[in-house]
Amino acid sequence: MIDTTAFGAAVALLAGSLDAWIWVVPGLLIGLLFGALPGISVSMAMALVLPATLYMEFLPAIIFLTSVYTGAGFGGSIPAVLINIPGTSSAVATTFDGYPMARQGKHNEALGAALFASCIGVLISYIVLLLLVQPMAEIVLRIGPYEMAAIGIWGMVLLGSIGASSVAKGLFAAGLGVLFGMVGMNTAGYMRGDMGIVWLLDGIPTIPAMVGLLAASQLFALVNAKFIVESEAERSISLRRILAGGAMVLRNPVTLLRGSAIGVFVGAVPGIGSSIANLLSYGETRRNAQDPESFGKGDVRGVIAAESANSSSEGGSMATMLALGIPGGGATAILLAAFAMHNVVGGPRFMEESRDVVYAIILSNFAQAAILVVVGTLFVYGASTLVRLPLRYLIPSVLVMSTMGAFAIEGSIAGPITLFVFAVLGWLLSRYGFPVAAVVVGLLLGRLIETEMLRAWQLAGGDPWYVLNYPWALAIVGLMLVSLGLSVRRDMRKRRLAAARS
Amino acid sequence: MTSTRITPIGRRTLLAASAGVALAAPAARAQGFPERPITLLVPFATGGYNDRLARAMAPFVQRHIGQPVTVVNRPGGATVLGNTFFLQQPDDGYMMMVHSAAPFIPVSIITRNARYKAEDFWMINLPSRDATLMACAPDKPIRSIDEVVASLKRDPRSLSVGLQPASADLINFALFCQGHGIDRSRVRVVTYDGGGPARNATAGGVVDVGLVGGEGFLPIKDRIRPLLMFTDEKNSDYPDTPILSDHAKAAGFEPQFVDGSQRGFVVAKRFVDAQPDRYRILLQAVEKASKDPECISTLAGQQLATTWYGPEASNRAYLSTSRLMERYGELLTGRAG
Repeated sequence: MIDTTAFGAAVALLAGSLDAWIWVVPGLLIGLLFGALPGISVSMAMALVLPATLYMEFLPAIIFLTSVYTGAGFGGSIPAVLINIPGTSSAVATTFDGYPMARQGKHNEALGAALFASCIGVLISYIVLLLLVQPMAEIVLRIGPYEMAAIGIWGMVLLGSIGASSVAKGLFAAGLGVLFGMVGMNTAGYMRGDMGIVWLLDGIPTIPAMVGLLAASQLFALVNAKFIVESEAERSISLRRILAGGAMVLRNPVTLLRGSAIGVFVGAVPGIGSSIANLLSYGETRRNAQDPESFGKGDVRGVIAAESANSSSEGGSMATMLALGIPGGGATAILLAAFAMHNVVGGPRFMEESRDVVYAIILSNFAQAAILVVVGTLFVYGASTLVRLPLRYLIPSVLVMSTMGAFAIEGSIAGPITLFVFAVLGWLLSRYGFPVAAVVVGLLLGRLIETEMLRAWQLAGGDPWYVLNYPWALAIVGLMLVSLGLSVRRDMRKRRLAAARS
Repeated sequence: MTSTRITPIGRRTLLAASAGVALAAPAARAQGFPERPITLLVPFATGGYNDRLARAMAPFVQRHIGQPVTVVNRPGGATVLGNTFFLQQPDDGYMMMVHSAAPFIPVSIITRNARYKAEDFWMINLPSRDATLMACAPDKPIRSIDEVVASLKRDPRSLSVGLQPASADLINFALFCQGHGIDRSRVRVVTYDGGGPARNATAGGVVDVGLVGGEGFLPIKDRIRPLLMFTDEKNSDYPDTPILSDHAKAAGFEPQFVDGSQRGFVVAKRFVDAQPDRYRILLQAVEKASKDPECISTLAGQQLATTWYGPEASNRAYLSTSRLMERYGELLTGRAG
């Protein structure tokens, strides 16, 4: 648990050093800006500022980088809400309800809710980190293919046919997404569906494909509109309404806590955590709601669920990095590189010997979450002027930005080509009433499920009963079945009541 | 030499020697080179060993070449994308690669049908030599390599083994099984997409034993139990770990293994032939940087290697690994799972 001497030393370390503080606000702003640009990922933003940290002391350098991390974690949700383009794959679920809210003129509330849910999510995840860094890292390391496959299937079942007018169309769209997700080399080294194109060796570039699908399907729908928000009266930018959105977060504590819990534990899984945590949290919130049909049409709970989960995965991935020296993703890999540049080796020994520094990093992140509320509110206030921009300027700018982002993230023309192909596909799909969101979910989860199931099969040596050795995976599947059964029963009862009434 | 007992030398040495002759040519056309910044191309994502090596070396190469040195990452397709891109560049010497040249270049040729040949690349220096380490989580009931052998001999299905599908580690495991007469096709091999995930699965006990480059295990050295190092000399990072040459001798089979990653500075062979003077300038800059005391101490602090082996020894090591990879190619392309 908490080592009080080291804790005191950490407080002294932070209190006695101006250097540890002056970098927080610039870091958050850089993170917000880069996170908000579609195509620039959290890890790219951190890689860009990494050289600057060479000339700082160790603690300020790490605080600066984690500020960028925190800022970029939220920054991605700004374009998700305003123009339906997730800045990162972890903001996908934010688009589901955030963008409909923006179109209804509730962009202030949506952004406010996203910001507050993010800040509280970061805070919760770091509190968990402070108390449980060691056990959490242990648990995360032990999550194997069976557990991951179960989590992936859970997400797929919850969201497989999201946004569909009919189950058949939803399943078709999700199946299409899964097929796209399986292009490239599988984990056992076999090539599928690459058509001899070297750019497809690693699969279809996810972010350009996702941006193409989501953005195009929406932008074409805006052809006859003059502004994102139709009514002029609603096109306001109001600090009061941003804060009102924040207050909505506090009125939905269950959604917030569920999102944070999913974010901390699922998001901590190295590699794929944060992009699945937001989907799971969104799906669970929708399933548990009294009125699931209100989701996808601008329900603030959808935004809260997604944002609390994607931001709390920051604390989760910090756990494995600090306690074990294992980077969970690009962002923590860069943090470890920054450690190395200061001749500090992350991992168990660092935790033992420099407990005060670890606490100082965690405490500074508490402060960052609090400062983000202020900085983020101002940033959001500025960013939401987008709704005042006529679409004839906004749409071309968004297209240019997305194309540049797709180029930046892939480092080659393969990004823009993917964006273009999937934009056409996205338009065709939405033209004929297929849910584009389900394709995205299939794309993100399909590959994960396939990879983990393949490993599970390898681990079992082909023995189907081997799964009995994994009680946690069974428990997840069991819980999923029970909760599904309950919702089906609830739906049937509702339908019977409705039938009786008419 | 860190390579194996079955190293084919001969023609390769001649090749290296002929390049040495080319070096002696007068520096006539190199005047003014370099007159703009030099790029270090890393065919991996940020944060890995090569990326860290490139970024740490950049300021020192810059110091000795007199032009800014920047790092560009071009990951993907097990380095096929980066390699292809690199070979498409003009032969002007403004780009070098920092690469796990062996085994990634030969592996990409064998498993991804890449269109280049191993001989298209020329090693300036490969300071980092990594060896495959077999390890398990400390809470596993496996105490030693002999227990692994006994268990797999009794029943090849008794242990799950985590590794990367197209890797030196897989070849080493296959050779290990061959030596002990273990039926590898029946062993439960679990494949991972990178060294990181394979290492995490090993440390977390998700698989019973794992085979990953020893350097990758260093940050979590205390969290694993090293079982066997695939080398013929003791490793200073794992001084108490048994090595393959002793292990094989005791078990009575020919010790065969391939080196893990050999990482460092790489250029195109075409460039070396076309622009010997510019090549020599790059070579000297990398050599001076590698021998710069400040560079050595800075990189040592980040657990990065700076040893100067030079082009001759580096190319020999690289090409011998390539040959071995080709020889065991069917192990890489065949059934891995």
